[in-house]
Amino acid sequence: MAELLDFFQLALVKATPLIFAALAGVICERSGILNIALEGGLTVGAFTGAAVSFETGNPLLGLIAGMLAGALLCGLLGVAATRFGVDQIVAGIGLNMLAAGATAFAVVVLFGAPGATPEVHALGSAGETALIAVAVVAALALQLGFDRTPWGLRLRACGENPQAVLSAGLDPRRIRVLATLAGGAIAGLGGVFLSLGELDLYSDGMTAGRGFIALAAVIFGRWTPLGAAGAALAFGALSALQFVLQRSGVPSELMQALPYLAALAALTGIVGKARAPAADGVSL
Amino acid sequence: MVETAGAALEAIGIVKRFGTLVAVDGVDLELARGEIHALCGENGAGKSTLARILAGALAPSAGRVASDGPVGLVHQHFELVDRLRVWENVVLGREPRRGLRLDAAAARERVRSLAREYALDVDPDAVVESLPVGIAQRVEILRELAREPSTLVLDEPTAVLAPREIDALFATLRSLAARGAAIMVITHKLQEVISHANRVTVMRGGRVVLRAATAETSLDAIARAMVGGDVPALATRRAVTPHAAFAARDLRAGDGAHALRGASFEVRGGEIVGIAGVEGNGQSALCDAIAGVVPYAGEMTLDGEPLRGNPGARTAAGVRTIPQDRQREALVLPWSIARNVALGDHTRPPLRRGWSLDRQACDALATEIVRRFDVRAASIRTSVAALSGGNQQKVVVGRALAHEPRVVIAYQPTRGIDVGAASLVQSRLIEARNAGAAVLLVSFELDELLAVADRILVLYRGAIAGEFVREGFDRARIGALMAGAA
Repeated sequence: MAELLDFFQLALVKATPLIFAALAGVICERSGILNIALEGGLTVGAFTGAAVSFETGNPLLGLIAGMLAGALLCGLLGVAATRFGVDQIVAGIGLNMLAAGATAFAVVVLFGAPGATPEVHALGSAGETALIAVAVVAALALQLGFDRTPWGLRLRACGENPQAVLSAGLDPRRIRVLATLAGGAIAGLGGVFLSLGELDLYSDGMTAGRGFIALAAVIFGRWTPLGAAGAALAFGALSALQFVLQRSGVPSELMQALPYLAALAALTGIVGKARAPAADGVSL
Repeated sequence: MVETAGAALEAIGIVKRFGTLVAVDGVDLELARGEIHALCGENGAGKSTLARILAGALAPSAGRVASDGPVGLVHQHFELVDRLRVWENVVLGREPRRGLRLDAAAARERVRSLAREYALDVDPDAVVESLPVGIAQRVEILRELAREPSTLVLDEPTAVLAPREIDALFATLRSLAARGAAIMVITHKLQEVISHANRVTVMRGGRVVLRAATAETSLDAIARAMVGGDVPALATRRAVTPHAAFAARDLRAGDGAHALRGASFEVRGGEIVGIAGVEGNGQSALCDAIAGVVPYAGEMTLDGEPLRGNPGARTAAGVRTIPQDRQREALVLPWSIARNVALGDHTRPPLRRGWSLDRQACDALATEIVRRFDVRAASIRTSVAALSGGNQQKVVVGRALAHEPRVVIAYQPTRGIDVGAASLVQSRLIEARNAGAAVLLVSFELDELLAVADRILVLYRGAIAGEFVREGFDRARIGALMAGAA
């Protein structure tokens, strides 16, 4: 019984950064921005959170700074895709590389040694639990926001047919930039959870492809907040299962591939038909 | 109290330049309350640009528009969000709210009351993509009416409608006009202008060339004003002894609403068979299946032999296509005319010699097509991207008809090109028929089929709903079948 409880707890901890990143992905994609820079958003969020907590000794300031860093990085994607007509995939790849390179460089410059920051003041287990709750509440709130508010309607319309949004007297570029800013902040929060919630430092590569697993969760969750959060939870459980099964000799590489296989199944219609927003990834 | 006389909108000295191109060149226009005003002109005459300027969607380079209320614009290609519901589309941007929330009940009620008020029956909760095109157009009109416009501009609203739906649309527009709105309808279907409009303005090359009350002008006068001279006559159809050529049995292709669901028919050599129907009733799937570019079920024969294989093999067998989208499916835009006309035949003599392309043969073919089809280009080395739409289409049609085709599949071959070019394309199709080719002509313009075809098959929801021979062409009956009458 206690073992089962431990497993659920581990699953929640593993799922939380995925939930944040997947929610960020849903917001962006429903507005028409295919945000593959989620990985970068997690990375800068995790690093900035740890660095600011180190400098100020206040992990809450680190949290806010991490969200701002994520918003800034993903906002760049929004601006590039709406103002300069840049291909979203190319821009996203560039931003991921920028995030990985800049954080690794900053670790060396600020802390004198490559690889990781020193230990910093973290949010503690109460903070960790609070962030898990925030992830769940955010998923519910976003779903309600998508379905029940004028902004949700506009966001969904923007991802389907920006021309229709324009002819309704709204500015689809603005909607998309706002979506990447909001999504980026949430992705940044996911990063903060990694460095200040689950651990108490930042180390290079600690996001470990979670931004891409989140993209798979978005597809598997059919581009809805609750669906994506549910998929992220399932992927988190898989990842927790890894720790359990390692002892029984199941290769962890196989487990790591499962989220992508699930996304592939969703896209090919093996488990019902998934359909992306019509203007997802189409730059203006 | 609704005001029903006087000008609702006045445009003075409108000029619009795009770079060096002058799309609209000094147009004055006045729309009166209570009138239906037709705006006619060939493709590229500046009608749609003018419409967007009137609606405030585009700023003019010079001139001004004075309007005593909002101007609604119903687009030719609807600007609706397909996966949203009707009410969501109508209220988008002006959502009724209750606190932070969208007041869905109020929005539904608003759509219902608008629909009642204007007799535009539509279910507010229907998802737009599930609606037939005629109903989707109602949604687009409702969305504009929700803004209480004093002027409503409709850009080619009848292009996608069956004849019966067209009558219903004009009935709606007349009742709108009677309540004091000014209505402007852009169309190139002149019969509609004469039947439904009070006044007509004709544009050519960005300028107004004719203004008249429809009661005081004629179809012929409007057509002459559009073209700027006489409309060229079609080639005469010669008596040909038809022989068996192409046959399809229980042909099925595509999926969803636009699928072809079991069509059996034949097209004899020396015959033009017209496929009548509203767009989206299986025409694309039909043409693509014959060309072999999509998977299909059923059988096809060419002169009694099974027609199989990849698109290249079919081309080699003499099945030639004029695809629906000339820029995406037919031409390599940056390439020259000479290279484009070689495309598809470059692997066979006479265009191939040994291992390589026979450039002289390609040039000779291109020169011949440019001459016969009156392609206006600086030379055969000109890239087709630099040609007008009409001239691009002439290159596509010229290539399809160049090698004595046995079967010609023409999908809307005159779409979006001017009357002169359209007439030339139709004449060349008739000549191919006279030479013994089996021609399948898909057109959404019933008048084109009535003028050109020997036989008409009506395609409705992917199946053949009726067949008419030339002596028995019955416009009303064909129109009814296109709209789904039993």
